[in-house]
Amino acid sequence: MLREMQREFNFAWKETALRSLIVVAFFLSAISLLAGALTINDQEDLALRLNTEIKSEQLQILKGKTDPGDIAYSLFHLTFDPPSELAFVAVGQRNELTWLHRVRLLALEGQIHETSDANPEILTLGHLDFSFFLSVLLPLLVIGLLFDIEAREHRDRRHELICSASRFGNRIFLIRAMVRSLLLAAAVTVPFIIAAINSNITLIQASSVIGLTLFQIVVWLALSQFITRRMREAATAGLSLISIWLVLTLLIPIIGKIFVEYRVPVPNGGSILLTQREAVNDAWDLPKTATMKPFTEAYPEWREYGDVGKPFEWKWYYAFQEMGDRTAKPIAQALYKGMRDRHEAMAWIALLSPSLLIERRLTALAGTDVLQHLRYIQCSRRFHAEMRHFYYPFLFHEKAMSESNLAEIPEFKPCAL
Amino acid sequence: MISSPISAKNLCVLRGDNQVLDNVSFTIDAGDIFALLGGNGAGKSTTLLTFLGLISPSSGQALINGVEVGADIQGARAQISYLPESANLYPHLSAYENLEYFLSLAHISRSPEEISLSLDEVKLAPEARKKPLSSYSKGMRQKVSISLAILRRSPLLLLDEPTSGLDPLAIDEFNIILKTLSNLGTTIFMVTHDVYGACEVAKRVGLLRQGKMTSMFQAREDQKISVDEVHQAFRQSQAS
Repeated sequence: MLREMQREFNFAWKETALRSLIVVAFFLSAISLLAGALTINDQEDLALRLNTEIKSEQLQILKGKTDPGDIAYSLFHLTFDPPSELAFVAVGQRNELTWLHRVRLLALEGQIHETSDANPEILTLGHLDFSFFLSVLLPLLVIGLLFDIEAREHRDRRHELICSASRFGNRIFLIRAMVRSLLLAAAVTVPFIIAAINSNITLIQASSVIGLTLFQIVVWLALSQFITRRMREAATAGLSLISIWLVLTLLIPIIGKIFVEYRVPVPNGGSILLTQREAVNDAWDLPKTATMKPFTEAYPEWREYGDVGKPFEWKWYYAFQEMGDRTAKPIAQALYKGMRDRHEAMAWIALLSPSLLIERRLTALAGTDVLQHLRYIQCSRRFHAEMRHFYYPFLFHEKAMSESNLAEIPEFKPCAL
Repeated sequence: MISSPISAKNLCVLRGDNQVLDNVSFTIDAGDIFALLGGNGAGKSTTLLTFLGLISPSSGQALINGVEVGADIQGARAQISYLPESANLYPHLSAYENLEYFLSLAHISRSPEEISLSLDEVKLAPEARKKPLSSYSKGMRQKVSISLAILRRSPLLLLDEPTSGLDPLAIDEFNIILKTLSNLGTTIFMVTHDVYGACEVAKRVGLLRQGKMTSMFQAREDQKISVDEVHQAFRQSQAS
C-alpha cells in the first residue's frame, strides 16, 4: 500500500492543477490563521489600551476624593475576557458578543446589556479565521481536488486501462483520492503547526485542531468517493458535491439556527436594560422606604442603617440601583438560560452538519463559544458583587475613604477558563 | 489437456433489459491473433471488458487459461495487457513517465534500458521520448501504448479499436509490431471496425452483430483471410 501511495504521490505532484490547488490551500490556511491572529491581537491591544486609560482616569478621579458614593459613581473599571492561547484559531463569539465592559457600582444589567446586540455584518458574512476556513472553505478544496478523479479517466478513456493494470482494480482511485487528500491535509496543517509552535498552545490543543482538520477532510473524501463512484460525468459529480456542500455547510446550520431560535425564545438585552432603567427611574419618585425595605430584607446587616432622612443619600441611591438589577434579574436569567439551551439544541443540529460540528468544537476548544461568554458575564457579575461588598460599609456607615481604603478598591481579575 | 489462453463459452451480458452479448463462444489459441469485427453497439468492447473482469457476465463464461475471470480477476489481469481505443495515456507526462507509471501500477519493474529498448522496438523517435504526450501524434501515442504491452511481457494482449484514427503508414507499422508479438508467442485479441486491418493480421476473424456471433473466418496455411469474404459477410450482417 505504501508503494502505491508513493507512486500516486509522485504522479499527483506532476499535475500543475493539483500543485496550484495545494498552494492555494496553503495560503488560504495561512491567511485565515493570520486574520484570526490579527483580530485577537486587536482585541488584546484594545483591552490593554482601555485598561491603561481607565487606570490613568482612576488616578485622576481619586485625587483628593474621600466620599465613597462619589468615588463609586465616578470610578469605572474594565472587565474583560482575555482570549485563550487558541483563540486565534476560532474567534467565534468574540466577534458577535461583547467580551469587555466598562462598569461602575451603578446597576449592572444596564451596563452589561447596553451593547448586547450582535454584529449584523459578522453574522451575515462570517469571519475569516481558521475555523471558518476549516468548516466552510476546506470542503470546497476537497471537492475541487476529487470531483473528477474518476470521471476524467472515463472521459479520456483511460479508466479501463488503469483498472486493468492495477492490482487494486478501481480501488486505485480511492488510493489516489487518499494521497491527494493527504497532500491537502499537509498544506492546511503546516501553517497551523507553524502558528502553534509560535504560540503557547498545548500539544493536546494542537492535536485536537489537526484531528478536526483530518476529520473534515475524511468526511469530504468519503462523500466525494460516494458521489464520484456513481457519476461518470465530472460536471454532474461536481454539481452534486457542491449541492451537498450547500446543504451541509450553509442550509442545515442556517435552518437549524432559525428553528432553534423559534423553539427557544429568549428575551433580548434591550428588554433587560429597559426593565432595569424603569425600576431605577421609578425609584426616584417612590418613597425611600419602597427601596430600603426590600433592600434591608435582602441585606439584614444594614437594617439598622436603612433609614434615609435626607432628600438624597448615596446608600439609597446605590440601594435602588441594586434593586433595579434585582427587578431585571429574572429576564436576565431567562436570557442566559435561553442562550445555554440554544447552544445545547444546536449541538443536535451539528450532528447533521460536519462543518457546524467542527466550528463548535473549535470554538469550545478556543474558549470563544457562547458558554465562555456566559462565564465571562458571570465573572463580571462576581466583580460587581465584590465592589458592592467593598463600598456598602462605607456608604451605610457614611465613612470617608482614606488613602489606604482607596488602595483596597477591588480590581477586576479575569476568571480562569 | 492445455486450455486455450482465451475462450468464451455461451457468454451472455445483460445491461438492464438490453441483451448486449447473447451466447457468444470462441477460443483463441496461444500465439494467435483473433479479431472480433462488428458495427457500433455490436458488443465488441463489452466482450473485451468481460475478459478484463470490468463487466460481469449474466451467464456463460469468460475464461483465461481455462479459469473463469470472475473467479480470479487479479490472476486474469496479471496475464493481460490491455490497449484501449485511442490509447489515451497521460498527456502531461512523457513517454518514459507514462511507461514508468503504468508499469508501477501493475507492480512491474523495468530498467531504463529495457524501457528504451521497447521504445526502439516500436520505433518511437528518441528525441520525442522525454516530451509530454500532448505533443505526440495519435500514432506516436499508440506506439507508447504498445511499448507498454511489450514491457509488461503479458502472454495475452487485448486491443480495443487499435488502429482507429491512425494514418495508413502508422497502421502498417502497427500491424508489423502485432505480427512480431504474435510470432514471439503473444496471444492477441482485438476488436475492431477495420475489416482490412483485421484480415491483414488475424488468424481468425469473428463477426458480431447485436451481441451474437454470426460468422467465423479462419486463415488457411500461409494465406490471409479474404477481405472480400469477410466484407461481404459483414455487409450482409449489417443489412439483415
